[in-house]
Amino acid sequence: MIRAARRGRTQRSREAIAGYLFVAIPLTLYAVYQFGALGYAFFISFWRWEILGPTAFVGPHNYQVLLADPAFHRAVVNSVYYAVVVVPCQMALGLVLAVVVNQIWFGRGFFRAAFYFPAIASSAAITVLYIYIMAPDGLFNHLLQLLGANPSLFWNRGNWLGNGATALQSIMVLNVWTTSGTMMLFYLAGLQAIPTDLYEQASVDGAGTWQRFWRITFPMLAPSHYLVAVTSVIGALQLFDQAYIAGGSDGNPNQALLTMVLYLYDVAFRQFEFGYAAAVGIVLFAIIFAATLLQRRFFGEVSWAAAQ
Amino acid sequence: MSAVFERAALRPAGRATSPRPVAAAARTAAYVLLAAYTLLVFAPFAWSVITSFKTLPDSVTLGLLPHPASTYGYQKAFTQLNPPLPVLLLNSTLIATTVTVTNVLLGALAGYAFARLRFPGREAIFLAVLGTLMIPDQLRLVPVYQILAGAGLITPGPANYAGVVSILAIRALSIFIMRQYFLTVPYELEEAARLDGAGTFGTFWRIMLPAARPALAAVAILSFQDAWNNFFWPLVILQAPAHWTLPLGLAQFRFLYSTDWPPLMAVTVIATVPVVALYLFFQRHFVSGLVSAAVKG
Repeated sequence: MIRAARRGRTQRSREAIAGYLFVAIPLTLYAVYQFGALGYAFFISFWRWEILGPTAFVGPHNYQVLLADPAFHRAVVNSVYYAVVVVPCQMALGLVLAVVVNQIWFGRGFFRAAFYFPAIASSAAITVLYIYIMAPDGLFNHLLQLLGANPSLFWNRGNWLGNGATALQSIMVLNVWTTSGTMMLFYLAGLQAIPTDLYEQASVDGAGTWQRFWRITFPMLAPSHYLVAVTSVIGALQLFDQAYIAGGSDGNPNQALLTMVLYLYDVAFRQFEFGYAAAVGIVLFAIIFAATLLQRRFFGEVSWAAAQ
Repeated sequence: MSAVFERAALRPAGRATSPRPVAAAARTAAYVLLAAYTLLVFAPFAWSVITSFKTLPDSVTLGLLPHPASTYGYQKAFTQLNPPLPVLLLNSTLIATTVTVTNVLLGALAGYAFARLRFPGREAIFLAVLGTLMIPDQLRLVPVYQILAGAGLITPGPANYAGVVSILAIRALSIFIMRQYFLTVPYELEEAARLDGAGTFGTFWRIMLPAARPALAAVAILSFQDAWNNFFWPLVILQAPAHWTLPLGLAQFRFLYSTDWPPLMAVTVIATVPVVALYLFFQRHFVSGLVSAAVKG
């Protein structure tokens, strides 16, 4: 009996050791590259830190400079503006696609696969392709001409990505398009989890399609709304690849494409002010964190309201 | 697909056409919308393939077919890119396959431990793994660069690849997908192996790993796609152009040849074909991997 218990104990400690060994490599990498990096970034942000390392402890100086830095202000405004427009559009388009694909019976698998297609190509390939399509003599303007418009008379002369007034908006359209398939998949997974008898009951009660959508589908999708919104906000605030490839690290034209991450990259690798760049990163993290908390609150209330 | 047809054939004829005209109209509207969006999804890619076979003057016309058809774009892509296209392809392949292997192996090991092995602190550690999703890549830019520089992995040379690989080596998503899958594998499989005297690793390797093939496929495909397409970390870490990956080469090409569209589209097509091929063959796994993350996430 005692021996059996002891064997049980060694068995258990063996299992525990195996468990730790199995997770050891990922945990070490995360300890260094994720949690370690987070703390290290915070540390670096209090120093004047150049390419060869720290030169002086400056306390909160980097954060003070940041508050008065017009380029940083521009970057924050651009990033937040971008997120405020792109997130609702991504959610709405993803939801519409998911609901429509979920309605039909024949070809559902095909459309689901087709709509995810833009998400599989690299940001570099998609952006270069988009620059070509939106060029002054590109496909988009040709199509506008077919519709009878004359883009060369537009205020931006049909130069969508080259004009400060339309560059960021053009990138918004691009990213709503590329991510709509992913958002659709998230919503489709949520739709599958809604019990069908809810709809049957509503039909018996005489609710029309529109009412069923607003009374059942939309509120029952609360967990999906939250997931899609969080994914989408985090992605939007981290916009970099498309802005960099379209506008270089200055965010041309005229800082229209200067996002927070682009500015962080520029400060770190063109000006080699690592301490200042780390402070930009910490502020970015704080904004993303606050946005996530806000959404949790907002969607918590929505699902609570739906339950009433 | 054939199952769909069979089921359709089994239905009473009267139900194939909808009894209510409203529903039929709604369905028609749904298909029109879906068809229109499908066009919107594929047209830009089709346009890039068409342009890649055009000549330069032809590339700014609306012609739906190259006139004349030309390999000018591909010739220039193969001769003008610096570093040469084969080098970029090789670098991308090298990094993407290494990262795929590490994600599959480490993800399976850790996913199995989180799903099945009991050890103190397991749930807390798993939460920490998921917590890494909250830390933006860009916040890590400066510290990770410093850490890699300190480890001697920023200098040009093969060590430079190791720097990129170590950052992408194991994504939280890989661990998560594997864990969710292992949770669904029946316990009987494992117990039978234990009774046969297999150790923890033996059970994992010989019994559980083969049982988790669909999840392994999902992790492999999503990791390959992520590493193949990744722009940010290679841009920051790979120093010498000779070590660049395809997305970096493409971005550079675009800065140098800003409006020489046929070669730019040729490189775009070449960079996209591998992931498209993967997607066509393993589309099911892409979707299932993402959906499992969505449902449980």
